[in-house]
Amino acid sequence: MKDLKELKKIEQYADQCMKCGFCSFFCPVYQEERTETSVARGKNYLVKEILKGNQEFTKEMGDIIGLCLLCKRCVAMCPAKTQIDRVVVGARAQMVNEKGLGAIKNFAFRKVMSDRKAFGNYVKLAKAFQWLLPKTEGNIRHLPDFLKALGQGRNIPALADKFLREIVKPVYKPQNGEKPKMKVGYFMGCATDFMYPELGLKFIDFLTKRGIEVVVPESQSCCGAAMYFSGDFETGRLQAEKNIAAFKDVDYIVTACGTCSSTLKDYQKYLPDTEDQKKRFEEFEKKVKDSMEFIIDIMKVKPEELTLKKEFEGKAATWHDPCHLVRYQNIKDQPRAILKGLKGLKYVEMPNADLCCGMGGSFSVYHYDITKKIAGKKMDGIKSTGADIVVTACPGCMVNLTDNVLQNKMPQKVYHLLELVE
Amino acid sequence: MLKESIVAELQKIVGKENALTSPEALKAYSYDGTTSWVHEPDIVVFPTSTQQVSDIMKLANAEKIPVTPRGGGTNVSGGSIPIMGGIVLCTTKMNKILKVDKENLTATVEPGVVLQDLTIRLMKDGLFFPPDPQSFLGATLGGIIAENAGGPACVKYGVTKQYILGVEVVLPNGEVVHLGGRTLKNVVGYDLLHIFISSEGTLGVVTKAELKLNPIPPAKKTIMVVYADVAVAGESVFRVLENGVIPDKIELLDNWVINRIEEMMPMGLPKDADAVLLFEVDGIPEGVEKETEKIVEIVKKYGAVDARVAKDQAEADKYWMGRKAGFAAVFGKAKTVFAEDVTVPRGQIPALINKCKELAKKYNVEIVVLGHAGDGNLHPAILTDINNKDHYDRSVKAMDEIIEGAVELGGVLSGEHGIGLEKQKFLKRQLEPAVIEMMKKVKALFDPNNIMNPGKIWE
Repeated sequence: MKDLKELKKIEQYADQCMKCGFCSFFCPVYQEERTETSVARGKNYLVKEILKGNQEFTKEMGDIIGLCLLCKRCVAMCPAKTQIDRVVVGARAQMVNEKGLGAIKNFAFRKVMSDRKAFGNYVKLAKAFQWLLPKTEGNIRHLPDFLKALGQGRNIPALADKFLREIVKPVYKPQNGEKPKMKVGYFMGCATDFMYPELGLKFIDFLTKRGIEVVVPESQSCCGAAMYFSGDFETGRLQAEKNIAAFKDVDYIVTACGTCSSTLKDYQKYLPDTEDQKKRFEEFEKKVKDSMEFIIDIMKVKPEELTLKKEFEGKAATWHDPCHLVRYQNIKDQPRAILKGLKGLKYVEMPNADLCCGMGGSFSVYHYDITKKIAGKKMDGIKSTGADIVVTACPGCMVNLTDNVLQNKMPQKVYHLLELVE
Repeated sequence: MLKESIVAELQKIVGKENALTSPEALKAYSYDGTTSWVHEPDIVVFPTSTQQVSDIMKLANAEKIPVTPRGGGTNVSGGSIPIMGGIVLCTTKMNKILKVDKENLTATVEPGVVLQDLTIRLMKDGLFFPPDPQSFLGATLGGIIAENAGGPACVKYGVTKQYILGVEVVLPNGEVVHLGGRTLKNVVGYDLLHIFISSEGTLGVVTKAELKLNPIPPAKKTIMVVYADVAVAGESVFRVLENGVIPDKIELLDNWVINRIEEMMPMGLPKDADAVLLFEVDGIPEGVEKETEKIVEIVKKYGAVDARVAKDQAEADKYWMGRKAGFAAVFGKAKTVFAEDVTVPRGQIPALINKCKELAKKYNVEIVVLGHAGDGNLHPAILTDINNKDHYDRSVKAMDEIIEGAVELGGVLSGEHGIGLEKQKFLKRQLEPAVIEMMKKVKALFDPNNIMNPGKIWE
């Protein structure tokens, strides 16, 4: 009998499904594909077949469990509360155990991304050759994916001349010179590091202006989302340990990337191998806060007391819910409170604000055609609001939204919420 | 296994990307919403036009290959399971709403349109399609017509067959015919349209349907009524109706379901109540007010402990969310669930509920009751485990007796789910042999080669 260790861990979740098929209505991928293998019910059924010994991890099986954005829309609406995200990720982990990672991901996760400096160098290398390529690109956070996706006709933000880690200081004291109210560790995340360094500086400035000391440990690594959501738990665990070690002696660990905050919090859910590890991951989770919840729930900032940057005066803004905020962390009211409270800004809610933008990390690299269709629906929602700007709080979404706004020749610009305030 | 040449033919008809034969895909089309039936097809095809459906049927008929039509696969009687293998003809890519006609209050749809997508589209014009099977998030119109689906709103609005004016159908030999039409009245010859509705996919494939719509009523109200005895709740149902109020929904939750809902999403349902009835009335605002008052008055007169009128839509939504969750609660609590669909004349609801209680005791199994009390369609569910032989056998016996009991009370063994595979063994208890014979002859007339969803309805 084969060792189905990772699948056994998620068997209880797979058993929850009663096959009602309601997930099909909420699944952005099913809405495009309209086949049973593209939806949660079908994937769950096939995973159960593996558990029963009736199905192997064939190439097609790999494609099927790969065809999921992990947006958790179906999980939120499932009458039986089936956590299909855990089933899918568990199945991917089992497949990695049995079949290995595959050459591309093996190189990306284990050689490049797990070493932050090396990752930076590779990204730089890619940048040096950017001019060779059509003005386009891919998912920069996953370098080989990035290279692979080149030429698919996408628009992505150019890589920064200087990465955040090259310009950031290890410690920032409160700007008023007083004793810090609290000390937080800033987790930058790859996209902010390589593409949006000014966003990182902005967040640090926001915090230190308000009496908070910010430390930026150099030894912090990638959050691990790309690895462990792809089933590479081994590398995921390494990232978790690196990051936990990097952020000692802080009151909170904060980040302005929705995917990173949810990934750091979820170490305890997916990765622990031992009881001790589970405990430490759970302790770590308690300290992780996304920028949106940190500002409202911990710092207790009053939105109406924030100052809107001049350039946004009189503009209409709409909010896009990143999956990793709205469903992974139930963060949806805080950003809306800020946008509605900011004087001089008009807030308009878009239809289906919580619909996934279609990015799904490396999903968009392997299924760019589906990503574009899903993003098209998001764009329809944005257009219907007549908003001038699209605001969100996840650099991953920002990359994809920017690409699709441009492709659809829409006038809207995409911003991280922090970019709007002084 | 199909011959390679046939697979190639089918690929030619629908395109390679719309003909699936991988073992994984075949597994994914081996089930529906039921728990006990599984059978793989040999191929799954996704036609995108009537012509393609016709070409598929011609080929299947010539080669005598079974064809099982399927929409969202939300069926709960096993009707969409390809029990004889062959072709699964999946309509999910024929999902266009072709026309919404406000003047005539009709819509023209393809069979793969999901009910909720239709509902959202119709809302723009202030219209709705009244039949409301609770699988509306996945169920397609083709399947809804084939199963003659109903739902809570049937107390006032009736079931699917009252809202289908006409259909375009591909017969098993590939011929395309049109049954019914576009008018409300139509007595031209035999009413073949209504033989087709509820035929469970055994007579042909719906490729287009003309639906009758209603305007959305401007007001509605929800009343939550508490009972100390579930049989008294059953009595309330016909007391309200006989006193001249026709709510659009009357749903029943028993004590077990109430407690599971409160565990999952506390909303202040009374945990010690033996049963709760949820009433909804709709219409013009003044009428809704009056009817609400009347319901409160009548239920109190006939033994309700408490009647709460939802103060706003949010409170009402909470109750209805609970009702929906109740269904999930049942399935979430047991490995195997027999979800029955028996329907009795409304006056017999208390008798049927008492029968269930008696049987639960007799066989020492958990029988929970929820359902569309307003039309006598209850869903007694028996919680069991197929791996626990003794318990399972007792549950089977209890289920048999519930069905027998319902038929004795003048009811039917299925109100809205259909016979499919799940209820075949009970068919003879309900229908006279001559009637079953007639049905078989009708089937043979439409489908002489018995290729259309074979193995369903009768054993």
